[in-house]
Amino acid sequence: MKVSRRTFIRTSAVAGAVATPMLATADMVMTDGKPWPSVKVGNVNQLSAGMPVSFQYPDATSPAWLLKLAEPAYQGAGSSGDIVAFSGICTHMGCPVAFKDGRFVCPCHLSMFDPARNGVPYQGLASDYLPQIELRIDSAGDIHAERMSGLIWGRTSDAA
Amino acid sequence: MALYRREESVPLPPSNAEAYNTVCQYCTVGCGYKVYVWPDGLAGGLKAGDNAFGVDFSSPQPPIVGFSYTESMHSTIRKRDGGTYHVAIVPAHDSPINPMGNHSSRGAVNAKTTWSDSRPTQARLHYPLLRVGTEFNAIPWDAAIELQARVIKGVADKYGADELCSKIYDHGGGGGGMENTYGTGRLLFTGLQMKHVGIHNRPGYSSETWGTRDRGVHELNYCYDDARLADTIMLWGSNAYETATVFFVAHMMPNLQGATKDEKKAHYANGEAIAPARMVIVDPRISATVNVARETGAKVLHLRPNLGTDYMLMNAVARAVWEKKYYNKDFLNQHTDMTSFEDYKKKSLELHMPYKDFMARAQKISGVPVAQIEQAAAWIAQPKPGGHWRRSLILYEKGVIWNYRQYDAVAAIAQIGALTFNIGRPGTGTGRVGGHQEGYARPDYPGPKPPPDVDKYVQDGRGKTFWLTGCNPYLAAQNNAYFRKRVGERAQALTDYLSAQKQGDGEPVSMEHLAARILEGLDKTNGLFVTVQNIYMVESTRDAHLILPAAQWGEAENISLNCGDRLMRLDDRFMDPPGDAKPDWEIHGLVGQKLEALYKADGKADIAKRFAGMDWKHGADVVRSIQDDLYAGMNTKVPASRASTLDPESFKGVDYGYLRKVGQKGIQTPVRIDPNTGELVGTKRLYSTFYFMTKDGKFSWYGTRPWDDHASATVVAGYLKSDRTKYPFWFTMGRSQPLWQSSYHMRHLPEKTETTPLPFVQINPADVKKLGVSDGDIVMIHNDQGNETFAVYETDAVPAGTVFALMYHWLGTSNSLTSPYTDPMSTNPWYKGTRVGIRKLSGGFESVLATTSFRPTNNFA
Repeated sequence: MKVSRRTFIRTSAVAGAVATPMLATADMVMTDGKPWPSVKVGNVNQLSAGMPVSFQYPDATSPAWLLKLAEPAYQGAGSSGDIVAFSGICTHMGCPVAFKDGRFVCPCHLSMFDPARNGVPYQGLASDYLPQIELRIDSAGDIHAERMSGLIWGRTSDAA
Repeated sequence: MALYRREESVPLPPSNAEAYNTVCQYCTVGCGYKVYVWPDGLAGGLKAGDNAFGVDFSSPQPPIVGFSYTESMHSTIRKRDGGTYHVAIVPAHDSPINPMGNHSSRGAVNAKTTWSDSRPTQARLHYPLLRVGTEFNAIPWDAAIELQARVIKGVADKYGADELCSKIYDHGGGGGGMENTYGTGRLLFTGLQMKHVGIHNRPGYSSETWGTRDRGVHELNYCYDDARLADTIMLWGSNAYETATVFFVAHMMPNLQGATKDEKKAHYANGEAIAPARMVIVDPRISATVNVARETGAKVLHLRPNLGTDYMLMNAVARAVWEKKYYNKDFLNQHTDMTSFEDYKKKSLELHMPYKDFMARAQKISGVPVAQIEQAAAWIAQPKPGGHWRRSLILYEKGVIWNYRQYDAVAAIAQIGALTFNIGRPGTGTGRVGGHQEGYARPDYPGPKPPPDVDKYVQDGRGKTFWLTGCNPYLAAQNNAYFRKRVGERAQALTDYLSAQKQGDGEPVSMEHLAARILEGLDKTNGLFVTVQNIYMVESTRDAHLILPAAQWGEAENISLNCGDRLMRLDDRFMDPPGDAKPDWEIHGLVGQKLEALYKADGKADIAKRFAGMDWKHGADVVRSIQDDLYAGMNTKVPASRASTLDPESFKGVDYGYLRKVGQKGIQTPVRIDPNTGELVGTKRLYSTFYFMTKDGKFSWYGTRPWDDHASATVVAGYLKSDRTKYPFWFTMGRSQPLWQSSYHMRHLPEKTETTPLPFVQINPADVKKLGVSDGDIVMIHNDQGNETFAVYETDAVPAGTVFALMYHWLGTSNSLTSPYTDPMSTNPWYKGTRVGIRKLSGGFESVLATTSFRPTNNFA
């Protein structure tokens, strides 16, 4: 997933020219033009409410959390719509968020994000919603991370 | 898949991007920001040398010390050259206010609030608009200015300046800044000599803080370092984590956590004990601030007074200080006026009443246990081991300012500061947290003190013109339902008159004829000519006759200063305003020039003269006018020991060139000339030699008005006396973290509207049960003043029997419920207390319930 500087400049210029980055979202590809990786992150049978599972997405330098919530969630996967995944990095200043009592809390300045509501920063200093990761559950119950919406803090591209 | 359109990448500014300095347009804190602008189609590279940030993005940034450049910090704008440009607005890493690029959820969206023809900010006003019947037509500036000038002149000439009314902002930040407060004030005060002028958030031209200024203490006297050096920080009526966020997290929190002990070592006396700060919070709610402070592990004392009783509670804290002899007798004798002190002892401390009786009564009135009152007194004033005076930073904000008998409340807290020797020393200070930034440079207000209540004046059918500049009283005025109705009725009377011609008569075509017809209508009806000068079509434009589009932050230079440090910096201009919008100083300047010409044409040179000199072409010209008009006779070549005698927000000798040179470092007002070096120097802290702003330099005491069970607020007192089942709840209001002021910008950003789609009311779980409601249900809150709908938000933040509403939202204002009471000492309202009834209307909106978080915003554990 590493891109050379030259490639980056070209692609980000493209993203920029699209003052309508609709293209980028509609195409279901990352900003470097490659498809989002599909990563198996767990199985529905291994999940229990309140026990987050750590994984990385879309690459090894990006910590993320897979969760089963106690309530149906916005864009939740699974039969109860309660399985969600999010970037694990606070969108304020990049600290790792912790999952506590049904929501994420950032230990640095106490921003809080609601995983049942698209990762909204309902309190604190963060402005951007926590990037949510789209999940697909296959017939065997395996959960696959397929795509992310929103920019991971500390990067200029999720594809970096 | 996301609730609003997300980006998975942001372009970096190329090394040659235009770079600007600015200060956040929002709250009192005034975090430093940098703005980068570059043409579409270009982008910087990941290597530090290849982008304008000078930051290496080839691997992810590290937490905290890394560089924040998030989705909301980038946007695109269009300039008048027709080109599309990228704009990145990121926290400045060289700002002393927000170290390491810290920023709030409001400042982070600065880029999204810039005007664009392809985003929701497209809604910005572009052209002057004239009401014709039920619609608005675009008219050129010349026509708009001529109409405004002719109507004003006609009214002033026939009825006198008392019939000219206005509400106008008086602040820095946002659309504010010295240029605008001066440019507008020059017309209204010097030119038109209007006394019926109210400030954006209140009914008259009052200070929110005469209670402290009359004591000789300006409300902005400390600096942010004091929050790092204090033994105790007291927050009275300030939910600082949500409203002065970076001040709280970047300067108070490190002290609560003990991380500033090296700084303390450098300032404290030899042998003086050093410990993490304690915090005393006085707030009826368990606010987010209370629990964030607790999360730090600090010792936190939380006092929860009954609404409208704060000045009595303050005097009880002071009485405890007196009883325990925590005061500095030498300071009192040398630096405070011992004659008025007798009055204070008699009326505020009521020393004739036995201590126990006094404290028992205070507990009964305020609902705060005596033990907590005494503990608060000890935490802010008890000398430290070895006899070192405790250092307490005593801060207050709207919970005090918008209180019952607010003059006495502000006076009482200033007097706590003086009695406990907590002014002027490192780690101390007694002042406001602030709401927005400041930036006040205006000719003197020509009216009386206390000033007339302009809202009431207009409601009572007085006044012929009402010019609303940079404010939105249809949300912000007290007793709002009545205010809207009366202003609307009177504006409509004029509209009807203007439209009441026979079929075929047509409408006046020239501005001269239209002005004449408006003046005729104002004479024959009880009509009101309403002009709104704003950046958006806000609620207050609903009944307006003339709308003037203003430029905002970033579209013209602005000088402002933050409250906590009085740190003055320049907000650069980095883009064009939408359409033909102009800065407020220019609009008022044009009206002034037109009036000058009209009076000259009338042969009235003496009146014309009052409008001379308003032909400013640039903000720098306005700054020159400030220097010539306001500071010419001011001697600022004084030693540091006399800095406190200067106007606390004055900046003689400072211009754009100087501010560009100092950049984010800025300069703290008042600015003086060092007698030794001849250089301009700022003032870190006021009253460092305890020379106060009174004739003799001594702190002046005030004896408070006796407690009367809210009787002076007749409407509220009536609710309390009558059958309480009619209006069973106390009602208070305030801000929330994501929204800013009237949400004039935030209502256009999905990041914010999805968070708070509806006005909300916080209700205690016990009351939720009684009312049979749950999160998201829509309730009608009502009393004899008005009613509004709110979404229910269940929380333990409010005590049972008290509800808290979001102050303003574009779908409703809590001010519809407020009473018409103002403190006769100051003409300031008691926004934060009245009685209401609550009726459930329905279950919630499905879309809101599915997407809005109702999680407790005050629980971080």
